[in-house]
Amino acid sequence: MEGAFVAQLRDARQRDGAGGVAAIWARAFIDLLPTALSEHHHVIRQDLRHAVRVLAAAPGFSAVAILSLALGIGANTAIFSLLNSVVMHALPVRAPHELVILTNPNARGMGIGAQSGRRSLATYSEFLQLQAQTTGFASVMASMSGTDQLEARVAGGETERVTIRLVSGSYFSTLGVRAIAGRTFDARPEPAAGTAPYAVISHQYWQRRFGGRPDAVGRTMTFRGGVVSIVGVMPASFFGETVGDEPDAWIPIAMQAAVLPGRDWLHDEPGSVEKIMWLHVFGRLAPGVSLERAQASADLVFQQGLNAYYDSIADADARTRYRKQHLEVTPAATGASAVRAAFTEPLWVMLGAAVIVLLIACSNLGNLLLARTTARVREITTRLALGASRGRLIRQLLTESLCLAVAASVVGIGVAVLFRRGLLWLVADERIALPSAADLRTIGFVLAVTLAVGLLLGLLPALRITKTHVAQGLREGRGVAGSPAWLRVGKMVVVGQLALSVPLLVGAGLLVRTLFNLQNVDLGYARAGLTGVRVDAQTAGYEPVRQAAAFSDMLARIRELPSVRAATYSNNGLFQGTDNGDRIAVEGYTPTGNGDGGSAYDAVGPAYFSTLGIPVILGREISEQDLAAARMVAVINERFATRFFAGRNPLGLHITQMYADERQTYEIIGVVRDSRQNRLRGEIEHRFYTPISQPASQVSRVTFLIQPRGDAAPVLADVRTVLQRAEPNMPITDARTVDTAVSARVVQDRLLAQLSAAFGIVAALLTAIGLYGVLSYGIARRTNEIAVRKALGAQHGTLMRMIARETGSLLLVGMIAGAALAIALVRLITARLYGLSPGDPVTFAGALAGLTVVAALATWLPAYRASRVDALMALRYD
Amino acid sequence: MPRRAPTDDDIDGFLPLPTAVFHILVALADRDRHGYSIMQDVGARTDGKVILSAGTLYTAIRRMLEQGLIEELSDSPDPDSGDERRRYYRLTQFGRDVAVAEARRLSSMLEHARATKLIPRKL
Repeated sequence: MEGAFVAQLRDARQRDGAGGVAAIWARAFIDLLPTALSEHHHVIRQDLRHAVRVLAAAPGFSAVAILSLALGIGANTAIFSLLNSVVMHALPVRAPHELVILTNPNARGMGIGAQSGRRSLATYSEFLQLQAQTTGFASVMASMSGTDQLEARVAGGETERVTIRLVSGSYFSTLGVRAIAGRTFDARPEPAAGTAPYAVISHQYWQRRFGGRPDAVGRTMTFRGGVVSIVGVMPASFFGETVGDEPDAWIPIAMQAAVLPGRDWLHDEPGSVEKIMWLHVFGRLAPGVSLERAQASADLVFQQGLNAYYDSIADADARTRYRKQHLEVTPAATGASAVRAAFTEPLWVMLGAAVIVLLIACSNLGNLLLARTTARVREITTRLALGASRGRLIRQLLTESLCLAVAASVVGIGVAVLFRRGLLWLVADERIALPSAADLRTIGFVLAVTLAVGLLLGLLPALRITKTHVAQGLREGRGVAGSPAWLRVGKMVVVGQLALSVPLLVGAGLLVRTLFNLQNVDLGYARAGLTGVRVDAQTAGYEPVRQAAAFSDMLARIRELPSVRAATYSNNGLFQGTDNGDRIAVEGYTPTGNGDGGSAYDAVGPAYFSTLGIPVILGREISEQDLAAARMVAVINERFATRFFAGRNPLGLHITQMYADERQTYEIIGVVRDSRQNRLRGEIEHRFYTPISQPASQVSRVTFLIQPRGDAAPVLADVRTVLQRAEPNMPITDARTVDTAVSARVVQDRLLAQLSAAFGIVAALLTAIGLYGVLSYGIARRTNEIAVRKALGAQHGTLMRMIARETGSLLLVGMIAGAALAIALVRLITARLYGLSPGDPVTFAGALAGLTVVAALATWLPAYRASRVDALMALRYD
Repeated sequence: MPRRAPTDDDIDGFLPLPTAVFHILVALADRDRHGYSIMQDVGARTDGKVILSAGTLYTAIRRMLEQGLIEELSDSPDPDSGDERRRYYRLTQFGRDVAVAEARRLSSMLEHARATKLIPRKL
């Protein structure tokens, strides 16, 4: 056969070159599996039958083994499948490897103003310039970086909420996807505003809303500002370009005014330097064009656009500063995703923990299998004596362990499905839409884990037992009791398990304490029951003058509610994900260039600080009088005062807010205690506050902040009612307590804490089981010795102490190794910790103490049994 | 005990023949060959449509040797060949009978197809 194969390769090389040789090799490998199976199927069948018999003969052990492995394999598979969906899965579009993104794939939302450095999102004008002028792209498209849930009447029905995403006319053609019913919209050049009244709906929405009926095409969707017609339905696998999102409908950007009235997102105001940056821009590389060439072309067009746009700024320094932006073009086969940015690191950490737990479970089972195999030493040495080859026996023993692994994987897949659903439920307020879990990569992972587990479990016992000398094995009929080699291996495995458990427990402890610290961060105000209700006056089409009056009126009505103790409002609210920042100049302060050229700020209503319970340290807070006054005033926080007015009284001094050529100057009337508005981690930033109605602010969205009189729950309902009655056209975009908003910020931390704690506990329990097993077997082996000791007068206590000493030495070695491993590994999660260091001694001590307690419990029963050995019976038993 | 002569039932028990087995029997019908020569002959006769890999070929050969359809030659039919490693195979009478039976079976299938005008008389 070898000769024929070599001759075949030689002829193929002469005839077809390397390609021909590769084809012969490929054919040989493809042929290998069926040939091997057909040649050896009778042997394989024999081994399988024997393996199933062996496992069925010990149903209890087999069930426990399969279940514990299934949990480990299932947890690993679930986490890997999430990683696959979030990080690795290519978009379900044509040739995803040809797609690139010109904006930051992790960005989401909207920025108004300017941004330096790498540009996160683009404006509509910038997209049009890029589409028209870049070279190297076969096609360029834009999509809204987030989605919006809007009220609409669909097909003449009741008002319902529809999740939409605005996209360019070239969206579907760039992605290379087709509708399964009707058509997509495809327009080049981009249609003029208001001239593309179409929508394409998702498969899920089609099923949910229209029952999958073909007459959905042609129906209308009526939004606040206009009507669009449904022209097509997308396939079930298509969710768009952003992993984690699942819009119900895609609508042309040209219809923005109809769908989201009250603001113009399509045009940057001439002369204004307030860019509205809200779009992701994707391109499909033209054939033969490299990423570098596309990057160069895109950035050039972008820079030209910036130069032209900021040319109107009179201040030369400001002009230079605003032009310091650039595009970075990166591969986009996996699309954009804010979910990815948030969860990639936690998922990898959890996968690491799950692998450790699986290793501990496998080593436990491996130990047990070794013990059981050792008990079969007579059977195995008999076979060897009768002429069976070592390889044959190893193959049989491996078949048994692989059977176990395969059975565990089958159950593990079910565990994985439940675990994945559970994980998604833990993290999501709304449903996170992810690509399907079952793809080749995940299946490959399951197969690889199954194979690894099967080999890990079976190889060591198989190798050890088949090395037994035949004569010795035939003599040694009794079984496992009496195998010093097994005990040695068993102890080493237990020490390994202890060592692996320590980093898991330490990591869990650190993450749980981090979660606790985050949830109990002093925000600087009384947050118990504090509720935020956000309204959007711009979408309702309110003119700026009317906005201010409306907000005041609504505040007055809220304050009249019996369930409300105090109320105020602010532009950014608390932990709602928005913030403001601008360049500033402070009277009497010379900037050093160390982050003191700008400041965060917020626009607030009257009695903001007293309502929230933020103490006023100096001066006074913003009041009703300040809203109507012509004098522009501001309040600063402690950090601002320390940074810019060290040694000076800030009252009466001035801050100048600068944006391009605009200047607004405020007189400082008060200093308040530092508080957290938008971030739990990091230093509290220096901040100033201005009255909400002063012209510089121009706020069209506010959050009413309400301190309830008693329980928070009735307040939400009462406030909704009164707001809807006062301004029925003004939508409420968010309504929840500050505690809920803060809780949403710690989703990943909570997930990590919960899962790492669960994994840590499981690891400790598995280690205890392993320790118990080894000690039990050890004591069984030493029955005679213990009996002799008792006969010679040893007391219960002495015997228990003897066993405990054995455990103690194992524990000591395991904990020292584990502590070293923990110190190395916890550095990986340093960035996630809050309020404690990775080497936190309390956490280390707690983890080691916990493991000691668990080990002590595992030792107690064997030690107790040893002390109760009947000396007479034991000495007779031989 | 002397080996009894194969009966029609024995031959029928082999039908229908697997494709690879039939092609090997056909390749050995006109002369004795070694393994690689069989592979080459099958590939050439079928214009590359049937390619026997080394694994498939030698699995089939091993089975056919056990079944008595072919036999391995003790001496190379080409004494001048310098390659002493090559094993040569010859069709046994039984193997020839089985090959003929399969050819007849395939031929009668062709007739059935012609009778129902599925294919024309002359294809």
